[in-house]
Amino acid sequence: MKFVSLVLKSARRSKRRTALTMISVGLAVFLFSALRAVLDGFDAVSAASSSTRLVTIRSTSLIFSMPSSHTELIKSTPDVQDITWANWFGGIYKDPKNFFGQFAVDPEGYLRMYPEIVLSDEDRKAFLADRTGCIVGDGLAKKYGFKVGDRIALQVGIPVYGSRDFDFTIRGVYKANGAAVDNQSMMFHWKYADERSIQKGQIGWFVTKISNPDRATQVASEIDAKFANSPNETKTQTEQAFSASFASMLGNLNLLLGSVALAVVITTLFVAGNTMAMSVRERTTEIAVMRTLGFPAATIFVLVVGEGLVVSIAGGVAGAALSRLIVNGEALGLTGGFIPAFGVNNGNVAVGLGLSALIGLLASVIPATMASRLKIVDALRRVA
Amino acid sequence: MGLIASYNLRSMIVRKGTAAMTAMGIAMVVAVFVMTMAIAQGFNGALVASGSNENAILLRKGATSETVSAVLRPQLPLIQALPQVARGSDGHPMASPELVVIIALPRVSDDQPANVPARGVGPLAFEIRNTLTFVEGRRFTPGTREINVGKQATIRFKGLTMGSDVKFGGSTWKVTGVFTDEDASFESEVWGDVDLMMPAFQRDGYQSTTVKLTDPSAFESFAAAIAADPRLDLKAYPERDYYQGQSEMTGTLIRVFATFVTAILSIGAVFGAMNTMYAAVAYRTREIGTLRALGFSRLRIVSAFLAESMALAVIGGVIGCVLALPVHGLSTGAMNMTSFSELAFKFRITPGLLLNGLIFSAIMGAVGGLLPAIRAARIPVARALREI
Repeated sequence: MKFVSLVLKSARRSKRRTALTMISVGLAVFLFSALRAVLDGFDAVSAASSSTRLVTIRSTSLIFSMPSSHTELIKSTPDVQDITWANWFGGIYKDPKNFFGQFAVDPEGYLRMYPEIVLSDEDRKAFLADRTGCIVGDGLAKKYGFKVGDRIALQVGIPVYGSRDFDFTIRGVYKANGAAVDNQSMMFHWKYADERSIQKGQIGWFVTKISNPDRATQVASEIDAKFANSPNETKTQTEQAFSASFASMLGNLNLLLGSVALAVVITTLFVAGNTMAMSVRERTTEIAVMRTLGFPAATIFVLVVGEGLVVSIAGGVAGAALSRLIVNGEALGLTGGFIPAFGVNNGNVAVGLGLSALIGLLASVIPATMASRLKIVDALRRVA
Repeated sequence: MGLIASYNLRSMIVRKGTAAMTAMGIAMVVAVFVMTMAIAQGFNGALVASGSNENAILLRKGATSETVSAVLRPQLPLIQALPQVARGSDGHPMASPELVVIIALPRVSDDQPANVPARGVGPLAFEIRNTLTFVEGRRFTPGTREINVGKQATIRFKGLTMGSDVKFGGSTWKVTGVFTDEDASFESEVWGDVDLMMPAFQRDGYQSTTVKLTDPSAFESFAAAIAADPRLDLKAYPERDYYQGQSEMTGTLIRVFATFVTAILSIGAVFGAMNTMYAAVAYRTREIGTLRALGFSRLRIVSAFLAESMALAVIGGVIGCVLALPVHGLSTGAMNMTSFSELAFKFRITPGLLLNGLIFSAIMGAVGGLLPAIRAARIPVARALREI
């Protein structure tokens, strides 16, 4: 501990160099925490997805619908407690660029199925009572300035819904309690969409609640068995598996972001390692004097590594703090659609700090080894 | 300039450890830049290659992609009758009514279901897309449940190899041919007879129609003729523009991500270069003083150090490009957000991209070297000579 002030002194020896290195490490930690946060966002969605909810889609693909007559058949499967359904509406709000999820849902059943949708009692009543009413997530409301009572019009995006615009009245703004529900979506009455649909009684997907999560796979195959060899074969999986397959469609995110993160670390290692090497080279004479005075080689080693750690961790703290402050999906307006809400959390910050310590350590090991192995005679004779 | 250039070059060799580290820092940034941009280019390229400027595609007015478009059966003869549509050797109009649906097939890599586009095409589709060539087998016979599969799709998804039976849309289809098309997005698709695909997917209309024009310049009059006919609520797009537009959403997303990451990374690398150059200037204070005493102007000193820093950075840039090169041609997949299906494409590193990488490294060198170079030039001669 008594060497702390000495370490700090040597770090201050070239203030500019130390500052530049600190900022480099800080930026790396910033970037790293942000990338981790994006990945966590995707994981959070599948982790928060319930394993007692099953999603049934057409086996061909999500874009095909099923007749509403499936409802009773699915409901009669043992262990199925509750059922609801939804359709993807795919409407356009003013401009195709304003992309957000719009779901035509069976309102009562859907709200019962997803307690994660938090709505005040009055809003809930108003929404259920109004056939052309809709509810929007608080994130979406913030993005477009939606308020309860506002009227919005959506252009039809999928031809099956005709060509006339759909008018809605916002009856409630919900909060999402848990990542399984996105706070950037809009939900409205399935009947409203259905009555203007060219094909009546079509359902995009069913969500069922089962009593025992351990029987999920069995229940899923029992449901699918009911429709096997019919023109509308189904595919049932847990909500968790369903959201995981969604994330995998975006491409191999883990690999891509992982390799970028690795490149970040390596780049920073080069920068920090270079600085430490310079710093040691500059002090060759000084170190030789210290050795002459009786400082053991191990102490010199610790001093140099300590300096590396101090500079790197200081930068890491700044970078992590910065990322914690400014990287959250909502502030950046990046959420909605296919990218789940994300934000740097304490866990990401901790990993970032650990990373900065690792960079400090790795970057200073070689210079520290060089310094501790200095031949005193040679070093003293050298003119820097 | 000769003396000063060789002086700076040789100084770089003297400090080879530091120089190498700095160059490697920049190399990593350039490598990340080139690789991420190669993804964007590959994605973009796959869709752009799908379009030919001799072709036009017709979609429902207001539709942003084929998936949300509709062309009714009675509209097809009206389109075929237009004089701007080229005729085949047998006199048939070169128009292919098409339907794209998405089928779920497991990926080879992780067995997860992925959305694969299945395209129903008219009998003349292969003449209209004349860049398409078969690597295995033959075209499907119209009127039979035979399909042809893009090369990328056979690699990426299970059970699409030559000769295999694929189940979708309530029936079984036989793969009779595998085709390539200059890395275009069609290579990620499954093609079959549109008149069989329609009932299989319970559709009673087409989604789009692609026509070969008599001449690329005929597009204007073709589009006008379509717009003028009240029976056609369709809009014509040059095929190339249409596919370019399809790549925009995902392409932009990748590009924004790449820019964000490389911008932050490059700041770190620039600081690294700055550190190195400051140290270089500090070590050589006396030498700089000597040069100045010999009559080299401040400008010459600045440009010499700037050149040294840039040379260092460009060496890094070259290494970075070399590091990135092996990913060229690797195939990967990403979701095309407009069609909601998976598009397989190859990382595409073009000479232009490499050049951009090198320019980028030179800029990093210049930015990192500027302040140290100015500092070098401003050292008072008398004091510099006195330094040990």
